[in-house]
Amino acid sequence: MSSPLLTRIAAEHDAALALQPSAPATLAHRRQALQGLLERGLPTVRDENWRYANLRILEKANFTPATGLPSTDGIDLPGTIEGFTRFVFVDGQFAPQLSALPGAIGAATLRRLHGELPTNDQAFALLNEAFATDGADIQVAAGAATVDVEIVFYSAAPTAAYPRLNVRLDRDARLRLIERHVGKVTTPQFIDSVVRIELAAGASFKHYRLQETGAATSWTDTLRATIARDASYHLHLLQVGALAARSSVDIELAGPAAHTRVDTVALADGPQVHDTMIVVDHKATHTRTEENFRGIAGGRARIGFNGLIIVRDCAYHADSAQSLKGLIAGSEAEIDLRPQLEIHTDEVRCSHGATTGKLDDTMLFYLLTRGITPEVAQRLLKWAFITDVVAKIDVPALRTHVQRSLASHMQDAQSLEELLS
Amino acid sequence: MLIVEDLHVSVGATAVLKGLTLTVPTGEVHAIMGPNGSGKSTLSYVLAGRPGYTVTAGTVTYDGQDLLALAPEERARSGVFLGFQYPVEIPGVNNVYLLKAALNAQRKQRGLQEVDAFEFLGLVREKMKLMQMPETFLSRGVNEGFSGGEKKRNEILQMLVLEPRLAILDETDSGLDIDALKVVATGVNSLRDAARSFVLVTHYQRLLDHIVPDKVHVLVGGRILRSGDHTLAHELERRGYDWVSSEAA
Repeated sequence: MSSPLLTRIAAEHDAALALQPSAPATLAHRRQALQGLLERGLPTVRDENWRYANLRILEKANFTPATGLPSTDGIDLPGTIEGFTRFVFVDGQFAPQLSALPGAIGAATLRRLHGELPTNDQAFALLNEAFATDGADIQVAAGAATVDVEIVFYSAAPTAAYPRLNVRLDRDARLRLIERHVGKVTTPQFIDSVVRIELAAGASFKHYRLQETGAATSWTDTLRATIARDASYHLHLLQVGALAARSSVDIELAGPAAHTRVDTVALADGPQVHDTMIVVDHKATHTRTEENFRGIAGGRARIGFNGLIIVRDCAYHADSAQSLKGLIAGSEAEIDLRPQLEIHTDEVRCSHGATTGKLDDTMLFYLLTRGITPEVAQRLLKWAFITDVVAKIDVPALRTHVQRSLASHMQDAQSLEELLS
Repeated sequence: MLIVEDLHVSVGATAVLKGLTLTVPTGEVHAIMGPNGSGKSTLSYVLAGRPGYTVTAGTVTYDGQDLLALAPEERARSGVFLGFQYPVEIPGVNNVYLLKAALNAQRKQRGLQEVDAFEFLGLVREKMKLMQMPETFLSRGVNEGFSGGEKKRNEILQMLVLEPRLAILDETDSGLDIDALKVVATGVNSLRDAARSFVLVTHYQRLLDHIVPDKVHVLVGGRILRSGDHTLAHELERRGYDWVSSEAA
């Protein structure tokens, strides 16, 4: 497959490799990833699962990552969360001066990821493989106390960045990980993130992902998780930043009684486009999924959420529940919610609900009769719309941070201060 | 306090109020009674300013000003309170937050400072005690998961905290058992004074045994067909609304 965009990516790739000396094996691997991408091609809006994403933005993107050690001048990191060991990557490169020492953190080991991630055939994962130079690898040993880690991917320069993260939990291990993508870059920028997760039997992973990148950023994200018997994966995904954001999440419930819960909140305004596709594949008995989505689109923003639940013929007694809700708060805004079930066995329980609408007139009127102005009433109701999902964040300091971040995106910081006090 | 003159109101293409005239002097409690569909709730909503209710003729004067010219939140801030027949559940908006925001909105209108947090909680606790509501209600979402009776008590609690000058209570007695009815009546009576007026909209006379009105009006077919003192409620209970309609005809 060829296209002007792919040709340009290949040329940028050649130039980038020439600038970055690397081991022959790495070089070969990167070339192989690029080759895979060129053969496969990038998705287009004609692909059913990409129709709500903003892919046109790639035409103008620059794919070459920053080289050399990142400068940490003028970096404005978010406040730390107590008890979480922080590691910072700036423009895709590890920033030791802003981070804890890599190595052992309780039962976990964090090291820089120079090798390859298990390749999957998704285009943006291949693109990441082809260009990425750094990343984090977290391994948590069997059955120890919960380990708390925070990884910040910070954008300081308007270059492309390829964050990558590998997480492996051994049997009965427990990890809480805050993964933040933040940046103040206001010029166009391409960020392409890859996360690979493997949970052994009985492991428990709570993963809090905050996408708060700059206003002109194009952010793509490929996450793949494999969950073994009795293991549990909770993903909290907060999408507020970027001009165009697309998350592709694949969760494989591979062992009996594996469990996942995915709570997503997307706030888009102005020209923003947020698109999320989550596939949960039930491949064993008694596997469970809970999926909650709340999206608010203002201005002429577009939000897409595509939640596909697959239940294989061997996955009897699987249980899944989807609750997807969209709130249209702008005259030209659009929300597309697609709950999908693909069930190959009879003995399952799958429920799903998807609703999109505007603010409830009766609720608004009720607040007005109490003297609340229409502006504040609308903000309050928007807040109320997402709050049940935000409340599920069980790290209080992080929850407060998320609430403040959401409030500032709703231009309602002041009222919210009162709400939280 | 409230003067309604020849009020005509339509909802969509349907004329609901057809020349309603009513005067509620300051310090009085007036009951509006009437059968289903007579326009009682429409009157409540029009006074509170609900969108979708079109005033086609007539005037409403509140405290010397044109009430219909004010937005709903302006009416609330100038002291008009509507107790809803079906109080709305707003999950995610905290009860105590709504109370505080509402009270501060009014105080701002009157040029007063925001209420002190400590003082506010003291006030709310005192009123909750009167309404026999547990304090746990404060931290819950507005009316979220409340029973019918709890919602009505919450309406009265809001009224007690806001101390309106004109309270319109739309079928506050519906769905209440006799004990809850007494609690609600106690709440209303505690606020009754020479500076405040109440409009009680109700189907039944039983609420009026506990809150004795100065006047009772019978609303039928969008107009007030008969007015009298509190004994009129008993007469209605005995003879039914048909009696008023047929006498008027």
